[in-house]
Amino acid sequence: METATSPLQSALQSTSPTLSFSSFSRDVTVPLENFIVQLRRGQITEAKDIAKRTAVLMRQVVANSRWDDVLALVNLLKFVGKKLVAAQPRELLIVNIVCRIIHIVNEETSSVELIEDPSKKSATPKSATSPVKGTETPMMGLGQSGAFMAQNLGEQLTSTLKKRTMDMFRLKSSIIQEITEYIEELEGTEDDIADKALEHIHSNEIILTCGRSRTVEKFLRTAARKRKFHVIVTECAPMYDGHEQAKALACPNIEVVVIPDSAVFAIMSRVNKVILGTRVVMANGGLIATSGTHMIAAAARHHSTQVVVCAGQYKHSPSFPFDDDRFNTLVSPDAVLPYREGDLVGAVDVAYPRYDYVPPELVDVLVDNTGGHLPSYLYRLLQENYDSAKDFAWTIHDQ
Amino acid sequence: MTNNTFDIVQHYNSLIEGDTNISAPVAAVGSLVKLIEKQRATTMLEFTMIVRTACEKLKEATNNSISLSAGCDVFMQQLARTSHAQSVDECREMLIKAGSEFVQGAGKCRDNVAEFGSPFVRDDQTILIHSYSRVIMGLLRRAVKQNKRFRVYITESRPDQSGLRAAAELQELGIPCEVVLDAAIGYIMEKVDMVLVGAEGVVESGGLINKIGTYQIAIIAKTAKKPFYALAESFKFVRLYPLSQYDLPTYRSDLLSFKEKPGTTIDWQTELLRNNPMLDYTPPEYITLLFTDLGVMTPSGVSDELIKFYLD
Repeated sequence: METATSPLQSALQSTSPTLSFSSFSRDVTVPLENFIVQLRRGQITEAKDIAKRTAVLMRQVVANSRWDDVLALVNLLKFVGKKLVAAQPRELLIVNIVCRIIHIVNEETSSVELIEDPSKKSATPKSATSPVKGTETPMMGLGQSGAFMAQNLGEQLTSTLKKRTMDMFRLKSSIIQEITEYIEELEGTEDDIADKALEHIHSNEIILTCGRSRTVEKFLRTAARKRKFHVIVTECAPMYDGHEQAKALACPNIEVVVIPDSAVFAIMSRVNKVILGTRVVMANGGLIATSGTHMIAAAARHHSTQVVVCAGQYKHSPSFPFDDDRFNTLVSPDAVLPYREGDLVGAVDVAYPRYDYVPPELVDVLVDNTGGHLPSYLYRLLQENYDSAKDFAWTIHDQ
Repeated sequence: MTNNTFDIVQHYNSLIEGDTNISAPVAAVGSLVKLIEKQRATTMLEFTMIVRTACEKLKEATNNSISLSAGCDVFMQQLARTSHAQSVDECREMLIKAGSEFVQGAGKCRDNVAEFGSPFVRDDQTILIHSYSRVIMGLLRRAVKQNKRFRVYITESRPDQSGLRAAAELQELGIPCEVVLDAAIGYIMEKVDMVLVGAEGVVESGGLINKIGTYQIAIIAKTAKKPFYALAESFKFVRLYPLSQYDLPTYRSDLLSFKEKPGTTIDWQTELLRNNPMLDYTPPEYITLLFTDLGVMTPSGVSDELIKFYLD
């Protein structure tokens, strides 16, 4: 059989004249094609799998393709990112990871450059000729230096790098090392979040959760090592993820009760805290979470019950929810109305949206692997994690 | 004193009149740069004093003191930073350089706001804007260039009717627009998808000071659950923390104060214009997001940025 690279090869040559197929080796194209096919068929659905595989693929791109400067590398990453997004446009996680990796590349390059260029180090001893502490004349105005730096960071870096003919090999290995660290961080995300469980869960509390979330499962089970409490799980019909979650949670210290989704409001007055998992946290602090979540959050707000959302930083998206429906998917309605009821299926429209958009006003705390944050603080985390790469996320859906 | 020959207020006014695109803080910094170019102070203390008195003079002489004082504050902070310099001349030189760069960079700030904000404009949206704001115009112009189709409601924005100017400009761009009475905001809010307002100043709490009428739009937008976005360049961040409408520096106790009016027949029309405030304060809880040249941020991000700038 012919290698599966031919469609990619043609796409590469047609869409982007600056990128040629020779930039990629087989070590990249084969896993890339595989991943794309699996994404397209919806064979990988687990959030962390997608995140991890995207990151690993990105690492392979860095390691196994030909690039002479950082700008070229970033273009390669963006190109691969676009391919992945095109394979599964609704999967926001891919965009998050690609942006994060691009940001890592930029950061790593600038830090390597600082070491290379001692004149730019702020720790340089003051000489008679250098007037101000630190660098040349500081920029006036709030955050100007930062904002303008990010704008043409790539260009600046490339030019200075070329000038100094820096050892690209060293840069490459340090980028790969950073990405590897990031992948390790990804793997440990759930554990890091679970470490914060005891700050949020107290003895004898009644906690409500919804759907199947491994992050929440670990969070609750970690707390259960020290404390005894009740957990109410909504069953999340028609997928009945809640049943699975209840099974996973059952242990001597947790008393699990499963309730139908329609009973959420009725039971909310007894609940002390709502702990939710989510698919993605949008840039404004809103959630894209399994359907039924909005209803729970709204009921919690009505009863002034605190809503805690557990989501690793890789779920923080740099894009804003410009329109609510865009990130939703309608999945097979078979579970709502089985196909065997042929007469009825023909007569009615059955829709089963997979996700809910929960506005940020209904979220009280976001717990990620670094700690708990208010939704209004999220913009800060995004600045730290994605700053120089946001444009990728902002423009990718605009074509 | 050395600067008898240079009238900073006059220079400021000529800057404002000469260029309709310049904003008050930028003009203030421009004037201050001009001032230090002219004067010949020999000690650091004198130098600082001259700049400080000039700032005071500017603030007193203009009615637009909120955003102007933001410009003065930025300049004073820069002065404080450069005062480690070896000599007055050196300090002056650096200030002139930084100040001129700031003035040149100011136009770019507005472009950046437009760049960050324009993705929020979607096809087939109805947008409500208040008064005339250059930064809003920049954003909408950019959105038009991106071939987005949207409609705009513009408030008439009494008493200076600046909404009419905005309408004329938008019409020229080919954007369908309607001017609505300030009193009709509640009436049209249902049809609006988002509200955009500019800002005279953004205060430390993340709230904003803007043309009168902004606060009521924000309240109605919140009630109707419509997003309310404020656009501001970062040099409009001011170090104020108003707790009520009456804490603004522009507040005068004689406004709307049931004062005894002279004469027997009162001309209510002139009384209305004379006796009313031009600015109001919108608390942060009504603002969904701020579009600034530093990025899109929540109101709480403003204090972060202010602290970062003024505390190092």
